[in-house]
Amino acid sequence: MRKFEVKCSNLGEQTYITTLKNGLKIYISKKPGFSKKIGMFGTKYGSLINEFVDIQTNKKIKVPDGIAHFLEHKLFEQEEANALDLFSKIGVSSNAYTSFDQTVYFFETSNKFEESIKLLIQLIKTPYFTDKNVEKEKGIIGQEISMYDDEPNYAAYFNALKGMYNTHPVKVDIAGTKESISHITKELLYTCYNTFYSPQNMFFLIVGDVDVEKTVDLIEENIKVYEKDYDKSSNIKEITTFMPDEERKVNNHLVTRNMDIYMPIISMAYKLEVVKNEDIIKRELICEIISDLYFSKMSKFYEDEYKKGIINEPVSFDYEGTKDFSHVLITSYTINPEEFINDLKDYIKNIKAEDVDKEKLEIIKKKIIGSEIFAIDNLNLTYRTIIDSIINETPLYSEIEILKNIEIKDIKDFLNLLTGENMVISKILPVQKEDA
Amino acid sequence: MNIYKINNDKFKSIYFSYNFTVVANKEDISYYNVLASIFGKCNNKFRNQKLLQEYLYSLYGANFDVNVEKIGDLFNIEFKIEFINFNFLPNKQDILDDCLNFIYSSAYDTLLYEKELASDLAQREKENVLEKILTRKDDKLKYAVNRTEEIMCKDDTFGTFIYGDENTVRNIKLDDLQKYYKKMIDEGIITVIVSGNLNGYDNIDEKIKNVFGQKANNINDYTLYKANNKINKDETGITEIKEKVETVQSVITLGFDINNMSKQDFFVMSVYNAILGGTPSSKLFQNFREKESLAYTVRSRYYRYKDMIIIYAGIEQKNYEKAKEVLKVQIDDMNKGNITLEEFEAAKESVISDLREVKDSKIGLAKMLISNLFYYNNDEITVDTMIEEIKKVTLEQVILISNKINLKLIYLLGGEENEKI
Repeated sequence: MRKFEVKCSNLGEQTYITTLKNGLKIYISKKPGFSKKIGMFGTKYGSLINEFVDIQTNKKIKVPDGIAHFLEHKLFEQEEANALDLFSKIGVSSNAYTSFDQTVYFFETSNKFEESIKLLIQLIKTPYFTDKNVEKEKGIIGQEISMYDDEPNYAAYFNALKGMYNTHPVKVDIAGTKESISHITKELLYTCYNTFYSPQNMFFLIVGDVDVEKTVDLIEENIKVYEKDYDKSSNIKEITTFMPDEERKVNNHLVTRNMDIYMPIISMAYKLEVVKNEDIIKRELICEIISDLYFSKMSKFYEDEYKKGIINEPVSFDYEGTKDFSHVLITSYTINPEEFINDLKDYIKNIKAEDVDKEKLEIIKKKIIGSEIFAIDNLNLTYRTIIDSIINETPLYSEIEILKNIEIKDIKDFLNLLTGENMVISKILPVQKEDA
Repeated sequence: MNIYKINNDKFKSIYFSYNFTVVANKEDISYYNVLASIFGKCNNKFRNQKLLQEYLYSLYGANFDVNVEKIGDLFNIEFKIEFINFNFLPNKQDILDDCLNFIYSSAYDTLLYEKELASDLAQREKENVLEKILTRKDDKLKYAVNRTEEIMCKDDTFGTFIYGDENTVRNIKLDDLQKYYKKMIDEGIITVIVSGNLNGYDNIDEKIKNVFGQKANNINDYTLYKANNKINKDETGITEIKEKVETVQSVITLGFDINNMSKQDFFVMSVYNAILGGTPSSKLFQNFREKESLAYTVRSRYYRYKDMIIIYAGIEQKNYEKAKEVLKVQIDDMNKGNITLEEFEAAKESVISDLREVKDSKIGLAKMLISNLFYYNNDEITVDTMIEEIKKVTLEQVILISNKINLKLIYLLGGEENEKI
């Protein structure tokens, strides 16, 4: 019998965790009654890592921006075939994504689970890069970069990051630029692959109504096909990466871009000190409370700005925190950007000074409990929660317990972190308005 | 009032959807949008957004919204609330009655007749809808597809932008809104769908009837509501339209009419579309993207209410002529029957698997139900019967149906600017 660690939520959600001999961790989240089964094979490697020690030569190396994302595209391809196509041919939908700190390949199927597991492992374990297929991909990714370049929300977001960070790679577009990807070669792709796609840096996650033991056997069997030294745990090597030191102060307090749009977008961002483990979840919950309390439809800010015709929808107040970076983004569409920014600055000053409404806080805690339950009905939210916990090394299903212990002081303390010094404003304005 | 229940205990929550579907012309859409916007903000019981939101949060964050949607040439106004089954709430608190009453207030207890308040409200929500109309160009890919729908169906209700038309919205008066409100209440066919975990709610039909029965109208004949007003397609040639915008990427679209469609053809057409551009093993993805590197996004979309297919792709403007050629070759291939058995089987599998996935979403199930009601004008077609019908589709049928497809429009959105490196 295998050893499993079983994590349970108080609502009956269960995730089984086990580690194979080669160091690969497997997570299985049981979803009784659902027909869809999601399989995800991922690595803890994303766009943030651009400098590291090549695991084969032991030499420090710097690689072009966007290479993790490029690798994602190329790995999902075999000789004369594309992975999306191979899955599609058996009626399974598949895809892959690269973020700052992870690259994940996944499939969704109702009745081709075994074939899909087999195919996914085969694809990830048999890279096939040639000069020709690397060149071809530069055209497709070039179009992907152009597509995001035209996306105003994406521009507002990345410009806020570029304003906040000086040297941190989080400021670089995940796909890189057309220029940076022009330097990518098949040799560099193999170097990144060999270093970051080793079993101990990867994870396998299944969400769905599956037999836990059988699924782990299936994964192990298929992995063994591609690993001669599967049983030798001594092969597990340490990965060394380098991250530039990031100053506390922001890079640029104001970043503006003009685009062919009607509605301006404003993103007010605050760069914060990084926190780890449970504190990441605690901050996420505090920010959800702040968002509901001070920025939702029940807030004074929304009521006033709506009446004045400055905004139509509540602003979003989002916390983005991992073990590598931490910031808050307050983003909104607004027809009157300057008045909006002034009102928002005043409002933040005011809420820091006033008392937290205890009654409202209790109502919001109810709402957050509700949203945890709603999330269970959605398989996609289920996998996101688990992947976050894998990447950030945070405890699974701990939200409700942490929520219970959040006090008014925690909210006040967090609000006090939002200062003019660490603030950046990113403006996306229509072309005709010339704004400095 | 027609009530449909879809029960499955794998869910923890319930989706309650109260729909008014109206026959609308192109102008009507603007009025219904302003109305929907008002319904979503406040009513006589919850007189502003603050009170309304606070109440919803106290119901464990029940999700309320008033959505608008075109069902072909019909217009649907949906009052929806999503809430948690009492079995999963602390102290087994049952909030069903609260949620039903909440939707009742939103739909029937309106503030539209409180003169002063209603005028302000109408003015503010007109601005809200106007902004949605004026921002439609901000998402270029979506806009290009929208424009293609609009040009292809220029005389039909479906060819109107979902949020209506700028001039009509600007001129809306409170009296008009009251008139349209009455029209919606009196003439809209009401479909009620409850989907999700209904365990412990054996008497839910009774409860719904008790809350809404007095006010709901008695219309229940779906055959009176036609989702497609244009049956005969005109036979004029292909139109080519270019529209300039300042973007890095351009969007090319192709619009096709499908002639002489029968209801049964829907299943064949779904498979046809999947082979053409609905999946990563489709002709468009394989040839336009993978072989020619012309795009990252390329897809085809089949509009079952309007017997129409639209292809769209994000390209570089300089590749426009080549893109046109490559797209036409794919269509020719379909016409000539150059479809392998492998392509055909993969497409069928993919359509079936998409349908199976609908069953994992309580909202997806509800949406499919109402969509089928207006397509077939009856409630006999379920997701399972659809899967069985797809299984029966043959390759010969797909090849035959390609003769019914006619290219009508080629559209290009966008000029190119040099990339700043």
